[in-house]
Amino acid sequence: MKLPIRLSKSSREPIYHQIENQIKTLIASGQLITGDPLPSIRVLAKELEISSITIRKAYQNLEYNGFIQTSQGKGTFVAEVDPDMKAHMASQEVEEAILKAISTAKQHELSNEEILTMFKSLLQKEEKR
Amino acid sequence: MTAPLRIKNMEKSIDDFHLNIKDLTFETGTITAVVGMNGAGKSTFFKMIMNLVKQDTGTIEVFGQSVTDQSDSWKGLVAYQSQTLTGCEPFTGEQVRNLMAKIYPDWDEALFRSFSQKLQIPLNKQIQKLSPGVKTKLNLALNFGKNTPLLILDEPTAAMDIPSKNYFIQFLLDLMERGDKTILIASHQADDIKKLADYLLFIDKGQVSNLLEKDSLASTYRLFWLKEEPPITLIPGEIKRTYKRVILSNQPEATVAYLSKSSLTIVDEEIPDLEEIIQEVLTKGEIIYA
Repeated sequence: MKLPIRLSKSSREPIYHQIENQIKTLIASGQLITGDPLPSIRVLAKELEISSITIRKAYQNLEYNGFIQTSQGKGTFVAEVDPDMKAHMASQEVEEAILKAISTAKQHELSNEEILTMFKSLLQKEEKR
Repeated sequence: MTAPLRIKNMEKSIDDFHLNIKDLTFETGTITAVVGMNGAGKSTFFKMIMNLVKQDTGTIEVFGQSVTDQSDSWKGLVAYQSQTLTGCEPFTGEQVRNLMAKIYPDWDEALFRSFSQKLQIPLNKQIQKLSPGVKTKLNLALNFGKNTPLLILDEPTAAMDIPSKNYFIQFLLDLMERGDKTILIASHQADDIKKLADYLLFIDKGQVSNLLEKDSLASTYRLFWLKEEPPITLIPGEIKRTYKRVILSNQPEATVAYLSKSSLTIVDEEIPDLEEIIQEVLTKGEIIYA
């Protein structure tokens, strides 16, 4: 399966870290479920046009943290992930997205008041849809 | 485990051309792209590994065996696709295949057949009648058939059509997945380098770089788009400036520190494309050489 991973060239976050986090997000959001196969290191390296050394590093970290499992000769699969961990991942991801929005707003010199007002009005708009 | 290829203190002079390598070790399971301009010494380097050109000093070991030793059992462990199929012209692909299958103990008929069939190589035609692209394909099929743990490929995709190139890349990946192969590939094709390579090895006028991990190399470069125009003098890390406000840096941290100290705003930044980095290294790469 082709993973919807998008690497950002403009981010200062190391590439292996980006891969690690995006796979965690895919697992936390349920797009990848326990037992789903992950692409081999070589195939993912080709698709993302990065070295297999970087992918191996990301996979090793994911395995160490219990998100994936590799079985010799069979490949790499999504492991059984603790629901608490999933919830934690999800809230972390949302937090990051909001922080990013805040930093964009600050770049445009918006006040906290203005950011809050905008946030509330967008929430209302979204609920009406 | 013994490394597939190890080179130490090797030197070679041919007229005014000097190639020298202090210490290089290629590990199992890696793909290294050998990158350099035409005439930089890539093919000479490969020929020395194959003992087709003798080094003046130093050692080259294939799986621990010196290639200049009396015994040449190492030859069964390495396949070398040179740019030409010298000496094979009067024969057909099938005839050369028969010879290779006898010489190489681990000959893999399935690998040879699948590659030949997929790329529609006419195995019953005299080799001298084949086009350059088809000759290269046949050359590759024969070398894949040898099924050796070390593969050395000299510009394999230079004359290949796009579908064949894509198939070739996929084929190499499958080969890597099957077992402990090690590949050195000289190429001018950005696609080969981006999709296959783990390490880059630069050769420039006989000077050979260290093995550089592809992504680490890329991350040492950064392009910055600035809001204001910086002073005309070189700023820390700057190696190139375009449109007055776009800075290519090979010391991103120093550049960022300088910009923030000077209150210059970064509008956007990114890791440059690998092709741009290679271009920089090949035209004025000084940091790379050990």
